[in-house]
Amino acid sequence: MHIPDGFLDYTVCAITYAGSIIFWILAFRKAGKNLTDKQIPLMATLTAMFFAAQMMNYPIIGGTTAHLLGGPIVALTLGPYAGMISMTIILLIQALFFGDGGITTLGANVWNMGVIGVFIPYAVFVFITKIRRSRRALLIGAFIGAFLGDVLAAVFAGLELGSSSIFPYAAPIAVAAMGIHHSFIGVGEGIVTAGVLRFLLKTRPDLLQLPQFKLLTKEL
Amino acid sequence: MNKDRSLILVGVLLSLILVVIGTIWLSHSQETLDRIAEHFGAKKSAIWNPPLPEYEITGFQGSTMMSIITGSVFTLLVLCVAFIVGKGLKAKAKTQD
Repeated sequence: MHIPDGFLDYTVCAITYAGSIIFWILAFRKAGKNLTDKQIPLMATLTAMFFAAQMMNYPIIGGTTAHLLGGPIVALTLGPYAGMISMTIILLIQALFFGDGGITTLGANVWNMGVIGVFIPYAVFVFITKIRRSRRALLIGAFIGAFLGDVLAAVFAGLELGSSSIFPYAAPIAVAAMGIHHSFIGVGEGIVTAGVLRFLLKTRPDLLQLPQFKLLTKEL
Repeated sequence: MNKDRSLILVGVLLSLILVVIGTIWLSHSQETLDRIAEHFGAKKSAIWNPPLPEYEITGFQGSTMMSIITGSVFTLLVLCVAFIVGKGLKAKAKTQD
C-alpha cells in the first residue's frame, strides 16, 4: 500500500502532508501523556514486529499481494497518538533506506496507514465497546476496527491516486480495486489484532491502558 | 529476568522469525497499487536514491542471506528508534506536568 514517488501529483502530496502534519503535532503533544513507562518496551517491540511483518507479502486475488499494516494493534494497545508515531517510524525508515514508499508521498502514506489505519480502528473499537461491555465485545470491536481500518486506508490510497492528474479518470477503478483487494488482508489484520489483544489480556493486562480494558478488568 | 525484558526478547525473536519467513517465502510483491499504476502507464520517479533498494545490498542482489541480515539489522534499529522516541515522549510529558 506504500505509494512511491511519482504516483501522486504535487497538489495531492501537499494536501496529504498537511493532514499528516496536523496529526503529527497532536500526536507529539498527546502521546507521552497517554503512554505509561511500562508501555515503552511494548511500543518498541510492536513497532519492530510490524516493520518485520510488512516485509511479508501475502497472495490475495488476481495475482496480487498485500501485507499487514499493524496500525490497529498499536492503536488499541498504545493509544492512537503513540500508534501514529509508531507507524511514522516504520514508514520513514522504509522510505529513507529501502525506497518502500516515497519522500514526496510520505505524507500520503502516513495519512493512509498512520492516521486512517490507526484512528479508524480506535474509533470503531471505542464505539463498539461503548454499546456492549464484555470481553467478546472487545475482541469483536478489535476485529471490525482492524478490518475497516485496512479497507479505508486502501480506499484513501485509491482516492489519492484517482485524484492525481497522473492517473486521469482512475478514481473509480483505483478505489474499487484497492478496497476490494485489501478487504482480504483486512480479515487477516482483524484476526491478528484480536488474537494479540486476547493474548495480552491473558498474559499482560497491565500493558493495556485504554479505559475500555480497565473497566472490563474491574468488572470481571 | 523482568517482564519488560522478556517482552522485548520475545518480540525480537518473533520479529526475526517474521523477517526470515518474509524473505524466504513471502518476498514476492505485486501490490494492487502497482497493478493500477501499470494499467494507467504511471511510473515511479524516485527523488531519493535509497541505500538499500528493495531491501537488498548493492552487489548482493538475490542473496537471501544478505536480505535476512539486512532485515534483521533494520528490525533491531526500528526497535531502538521506537524505544528512544517512546522514552523521549514520556520525558517530555513529565516535564510538562
